[in-house]
Amino acid sequence: MKEFDEIQQLWHRQEPEPNVSFEAILKRIKGNKAALARKLLWQIVAVAPATIILLWMIIAVQFSTWTTYLACVIMVGCVCYYFFTQLADYHNIRKSHHLLAKPQDYIHYLKAFQQKRNHFNTRNYAVYEACIAVAFALYSIEMYFVLPFWTFVGSIIFIVFWFLICHFVFMKQYIHSENERIEEMIENLERIKGQFRDA
Amino acid sequence: MSNQRQLFQRLFEDNSKKVYHLCYGYTGDSDSANDLMQETFIKVWQNLDKFRNQSQFSTWIYRIAVNTCLSYLRTAKRRATDELNDTIIENYTEEPSEKQEQVALLYRSIAQLEENERIIITMVLDEIPYPEIAEVAGISEGNLRVKIHRIKHKLTEIYNSNERV
Repeated sequence: MKEFDEIQQLWHRQEPEPNVSFEAILKRIKGNKAALARKLLWQIVAVAPATIILLWMIIAVQFSTWTTYLACVIMVGCVCYYFFTQLADYHNIRKSHHLLAKPQDYIHYLKAFQQKRNHFNTRNYAVYEACIAVAFALYSIEMYFVLPFWTFVGSIIFIVFWFLICHFVFMKQYIHSENERIEEMIENLERIKGQFRDA
Repeated sequence: MSNQRQLFQRLFEDNSKKVYHLCYGYTGDSDSANDLMQETFIKVWQNLDKFRNQSQFSTWIYRIAVNTCLSYLRTAKRRATDELNDTIIENYTEEPSEKQEQVALLYRSIAQLEENERIIITMVLDEIPYPEIAEVAGISEGNLRVKIHRIKHKLTEIYNSNERV
């Protein structure tokens, strides 16, 4: 049988020590900055050509229907929306003043942040998917006049099939796992928040 | 920049061990504790300009460490469980001594407490003054004293029952 004082003495004699040096932390700080810059650069590298090609198509290619122009504008809008949302997210993650809040306020922030991310990954993504579907539908009007009939039918079947797979298989699975994950997280956060209640 | 670096180095040297203990008590394994300690000091560096002298540097660092630990539960689906503490013994290269086994048992016992209890008790064990712990945990000192009394009792009971097994 040990008393608390003996446990405390034991604590002070413990050997586990951090094995991270000051230099290692400075190195990681520099590494983190470089990694973020690299990630942003890759996002730009991925998004910029798509936007440039779409804008070039709007300006340089003579489409026969106005619906194709509208489809291009919707696509540019979707790509830019995705890019700026990612950018805003990086900015939010780096703006870490919440870290200095009381634990109960920080938990509240974590909860709100997670719910916002969940909305973005599920509801907003569904809107995003719908916009791309509309853009393809508008573009198909042009395709109807340009392509041979059976090629047109084949393309439409392929696109519709692909959208259905994305929506009913990939998206459903993703939303299901995302919702499960968020529910567990919120449950945990609620439980911890209760522990920090000042009563 | 060099002043900031010097200040950061001093903060690291003065606080890293206690922050590590806090993270170890919270997570129950040394690898995660090292990760969380690193993450805490990266955030300290990023927020050095936001320090307003309203509290001590150590209180401010503990606050960041506590919130970083809370995020850990959010990002990783890991919880401090009994088996995690086996790594404490495995970390020693030599045959674990009786003292090392007792320390491992102590961490295993801390891991059986609730999250806020783990945070509070590691600070108590590191002899951080009560007003500072109250400020870090965001609760009143009166409430903290009640909690500490209860947690000490609970930890002693858990430790002794684990020792008997």
